[in-house]
Amino acid sequence: MTVARVRAAALAILLVALVAVPWALPALGATFWVNIVAEILIWSLLAASANLLFGFVGLLSFGQALFFGFGMYGVALSIEAWGFGFWPALATGVLAASAMALVTGVMAVRLTWHYFAIITVVFSLIFYFAAMSMKWLTGGDDGISFSPPSVFALGGHTLSLGDATVQYYVILAIVSACFAATALVVSSPLGLRFKAVRENDRRAALVGINVYATRLIAFVLAGALAGASGALFAFFGRYASASYMFYHVSGEAVVWAIIGGSGTILGPLFGTGLLIVFRELVSTVWEHYLLAVGAITILVVMFAPRGLAGAWNGLVAGLLDRGAEEPRRAAIPEES
Amino acid sequence: MLSVSGLTAEIGKVPVLRGVDLTVREADTVALLGRNGVGKTSTLRAILGLLRRTGGSVVYDGTPLDRVPTHRLAAMGVGYVPQGRGIFPLLTVEENLLLGAPAKADPQAREEIYRRFPRIRERLRQRAGTLSGGEQQMLAIARCLVMRPKLIILDEPTEGIMPKLVAQIRHEIAGIARQGISVLLVEQNLRTALRLAKRIYLMERGQIVHEGTPESLQADPDIVHRYLGVSLKDLKGARQ
Repeated sequence: MTVARVRAAALAILLVALVAVPWALPALGATFWVNIVAEILIWSLLAASANLLFGFVGLLSFGQALFFGFGMYGVALSIEAWGFGFWPALATGVLAASAMALVTGVMAVRLTWHYFAIITVVFSLIFYFAAMSMKWLTGGDDGISFSPPSVFALGGHTLSLGDATVQYYVILAIVSACFAATALVVSSPLGLRFKAVRENDRRAALVGINVYATRLIAFVLAGALAGASGALFAFFGRYASASYMFYHVSGEAVVWAIIGGSGTILGPLFGTGLLIVFRELVSTVWEHYLLAVGAITILVVMFAPRGLAGAWNGLVAGLLDRGAEEPRRAAIPEES
Repeated sequence: MLSVSGLTAEIGKVPVLRGVDLTVREADTVALLGRNGVGKTSTLRAILGLLRRTGGSVVYDGTPLDRVPTHRLAAMGVGYVPQGRGIFPLLTVEENLLLGAPAKADPQAREEIYRRFPRIRERLRQRAGTLSGGEQQMLAIARCLVMRPKLIILDEPTEGIMPKLVAQIRHEIAGIARQGISVLLVEQNLRTALRLAKRIYLMERGQIVHEGTPESLQADPDIVHRYLGVSLKDLKGARQ
């Protein structure tokens, strides 16, 4: 068996498990956890956004919450102010976030390392305070509430987010599509340019890669992912709030991505899942559970620097290597 | 093809190039020699725009390179193999080659590379950083060749390579030159330069101090000793 086959089998199992959630969890008496899994899926897109920049292009952004916020407000304002339906509102959220990423990225991707991290925080703070003060438009900390339009309507049949199962599957479908699109981009020639820029931007320029344009494309794509996450979260919570644009939200996404495995496709999903489940289980009994999250992060960085997904990949490769070694050893005749 | 005149550059406030003049003609093989720290690598970096030029001009194929960004040079036909190989160690050998050019669209170019470097074909799926030093150097040259360059700039291609592989790398560079690709070679190894180059420049303190052919250089052991600190007697038969 090859590593690729094991990975494909694991992915199939994961997908089946995620599809079974709305039936399996209520059957186990854990209906509450269906919404937690939906929330994990949504936040994992924000972590995937931080991961696309950090894990594949080498840019550590603490500003992804800005695009998350634009995704939220794109949905809320387009429904409340313009009466958009579900899909146009979703597209508006993603486009608003992407446009904002383009505007800020034009300046931000000229910088790298800590300078880049700092400018992303600065942009995030500027727009956070702007959104907080423009209450007439954003509702500030209170936000904007709205009633979500139906997802699909045909001849009297409607699919509405009011049905928790429909809502879960809509979220699962959109999140899966985003992860699939990320995987496609990363394995394309553009993804190869991302990795080359991450490894050494000077060498990348010498083989003909426009480093600035490559970073800007990655920044806008990451903005679109964060926007999709924010748009879904707005539908999920039925509101948009400026408080989600604060940079600590971006920081959480970075931590989820690192723990899950930066530079891997599904790592952000695992990292987000682990830490949100941990939060749900521990925060009710221990107020300072974030101290434990910090300890987990330190341990992962020290002992599994490629995160959960990296450790899993290493384990599978190691086991398969050992499996292939045994028959080879058996085939070698013993010396007499 | 490449004309450098009066090139000056600084690192910090320290001048490292003090008016370098050199030319590389079409199908020419030119070596730039000198002791450590005389400005050979800085010259290449200034030509490529990796080191900020403070004066002089660099003209390639009639185009001044003053405002040409580094990433455009590959498309203009300039390939560069930096000191220390300059591959992407975490990418596979195949990915390193793909970065050079859209080789999928030109299978003939890839076949040509594989024929020339059979070891590379054997290691396509391997991470480039796990190759030996000599193999990494061959990969760096191969990646340059898939770009179909008109000029290849090589910075000490035989430095730190096993002697057995040095001969092979020399052979490949000679093959590149025979194809009509111009070569600008920075070397510390005089033997390699004498074998490969048609013209040789000697550098000292950020300036070109001598220009000649391998034959004229071999006829003037004093110059070689003064600027390179080596004796030609040790290199007997270098052109053979």
